Amino acid sequence: MLVSTPAAREPQAGAGTTRLALLGNPNTGKTTLFNELCGARAKTSNFPGTTTAVRSGHCDLNGTRIEVVDLPGIYDLRYPSPETRIAQDLFAGARMSVPDVVVVVVDGCNLTRNLVLVGELLAYRHKTVVALNMVDLAKRRGLTVNAGVLSRRLGVPVIPTIAQSGAGLETLKEAIAATLAGTAPESRPADLPPADATTEVLTAWADGIVAESASGLACDAVADGFTERLDRIFTHPVLGVIAFAAVMAGLFYTLFALATVPMDLIEATLTGLGALARTWLPAGPVRDLLTDGIVGGIAGSVVFLPQICLLFFLISLLEDTGYLARAAFVMDRLLYRFGLPGHAFVPLLTAHACALPAIMSTRLIPDRRDRLATILVAPFMSCSARLPVYVLLTSLIFADSPGYAALAFVGCYLLGATAALLSAVLFGRTVLKGRARPMVLELPSYKTPSLTNALLAAKDQGLAFLKTAGTVIVAICIVMWWLNAYPAVDETTAVQALRAQGQTEQADVLQQRTAQAGSFAGQMGRVVEPLFRPLGFDWQLTVGVLTSFLAREVFVSTMSVLVGGGDDAEVDDGVLNRIRGMTRADGTLVFTAATSAAALVFFVLAMQCLPTLAVTRRETGALKYALLQLAYMSTVAYVAALVVYQSLRFLGVS
Amino acid sequence: MATDPQAPVPLTSLAAGASARLHDTQLDEDTRSLLRSLGLTDASPLRVCKRGEPFIIQVRATRIGVSSSVAGGIFVVPDKAHAGFNPGS
Repeated sequence: MLVSTPAAREPQAGAGTTRLALLGNPNTGKTTLFNELCGARAKTSNFPGTTTAVRSGHCDLNGTRIEVVDLPGIYDLRYPSPETRIAQDLFAGARMSVPDVVVVVVDGCNLTRNLVLVGELLAYRHKTVVALNMVDLAKRRGLTVNAGVLSRRLGVPVIPTIAQSGAGLETLKEAIAATLAGTAPESRPADLPPADATTEVLTAWADGIVAESASGLACDAVADGFTERLDRIFTHPVLGVIAFAAVMAGLFYTLFALATVPMDLIEATLTGLGALARTWLPAGPVRDLLTDGIVGGIAGSVVFLPQICLLFFLISLLEDTGYLARAAFVMDRLLYRFGLPGHAFVPLLTAHACALPAIMSTRLIPDRRDRLATILVAPFMSCSARLPVYVLLTSLIFADSPGYAALAFVGCYLLGATAALLSAVLFGRTVLKGRARPMVLELPSYKTPSLTNALLAAKDQGLAFLKTAGTVIVAICIVMWWLNAYPAVDETTAVQALRAQGQTEQADVLQQRTAQAGSFAGQMGRVVEPLFRPLGFDWQLTVGVLTSFLAREVFVSTMSVLVGGGDDAEVDDGVLNRIRGMTRADGTLVFTAATSAAALVFFVLAMQCLPTLAVTRRETGALKYALLQLAYMSTVAYVAALVVYQSLRFLGVS
Repeated sequence: MATDPQAPVPLTSLAAGASARLHDTQLDEDTRSLLRSLGLTDASPLRVCKRGEPFIIQVRATRIGVSSSVAGGIFVVPDKAHAGFNPGS
């Protein structure tokens, strides 16, 4: 039989490191095997020229160090997806030199579908080893696979493994070494379908091999009662929603309860470091840059690290159990109407804590259009940084009615969520044309999650975040600090008089206020004030809007500084009263009900967070999406605040 | 009068537990490709595990969940031995 195959690919001579690529269907235990081979020192980086993350690490093979690349899980080499293209590019030698050996991880319970991928790979004529994984599970289900027969039929070594326990790992390593050395048996099956064979032809070929090499009950002949029962509960229209609510409540409770401790610790440590530097260094711009700019910038971004690590740890555990695929269906009923996939629920819920981990967790979403839509709308959800702003503004609007203030608070959350969903509809009809793809998902077997996989996922995501936080976000923080702190303003005679009287604290407060007003940010506030005047904002409120681009909660400290209340993010009643009493140049109050309501709506909807833009840029791989997000959210916020202010004025609310 | 047992019917008309073979799909190309990648190829045998939203089928050893709109676009020929027809559909 004439076999048509892609040209045989030889590893590039002299490339140096020996490279092994791990390939396999999703849910075959490939990641577990990778972790067993490479341990904790693997790193995650985007595949050259793409935004798809690929893990790579090193393992020792008979004293030789080889590089292991863990390719994303794919079902075959022809389905048009970014993950498939990576495998195609790698095997064709595009973007990266071809691997010296490919290990295909095959699910012993699901041989036919997995062998379709093996058949496609064999057509590339790379050196190949098959890891026949989950043989224990197959045996429990009554299926015995003869690895010897399978090996003869495929013409490559087939090694039974149980990745979760590490069984078969040493034999697999020996087989890889033998294949690399050219001593392993290697021959292409004579009946291997040609490279352009249809999936039907490949499936028929795989079926034939399974019939020869496997015996006992086929996995498909038996209904897995346990899985069926759980699926009936988890995808039930009512019970499924209850289970989903319970799981999510548990996840977020754990996230908030456990992340608080290390977050407080990081904050306290960095504050301590800042204070230490303040005592050691002489006063001046270098000290200010180090203590307020750099240490402040690091504190403002690294503080989210525990939340990000813990979130990915918990998501990895949930994903491993098989539950997330079911939960995606539960939420798909709601989200599909808005052009978002069911998978978007994790990012959207996470965004209530912080948009940074939320945007990073969109990696769960398989389709790029769906992923982009979720990234663009996630920051509308009310993150925890908005809380102090909501507290301040609702207290200003409903000073004597805590009940109404609470209602307004809930209204803010609803407004954010509604804006996110409606924006998803709008994006689906414009820049991201098309609806969310109708859900088609493999429902993997339920299983005990791997703690090692979860820990390594948390480590990988934490490092990825630090890479952004350590560069772009800290740089943004330093620039914003500089705009806020410079030009330095000399102490006025009033401040000096207070100091002379021994009233150091009052003198500091007054100096802070003068410095804030005279800073570049203060000057910019005055320049752009006309733009915000139709919303009822004066220059002080405009300065608050500008400074809060660093982080929304900065708005509160800016307002506090402007009324002479110090720069704490939490304001006491005295400061609140002073903010309430803030006046414009004409002597009228700044925070009228109409202005406060407009400011509240503005902060619910505006993209007042530059670090989020940095993460959007990284996750989408394009600056245009970050700019679109900024422009769109700012416009929506401006128009909504304008409508609120002008309507209230029209209705006679001043 | 009895209907032709070999006539293709929408997947949604089968009862839970029924077996069938894929006849054709009337779906967008992306969804068709994904289903084929998951093992739902021409004439492949399948079993209905659960009806409703999602509709769950098993193709060989793969359990596939599809939204009911996708299930409505999958046409199958029911197996005689297991042809459970859902009168409610």
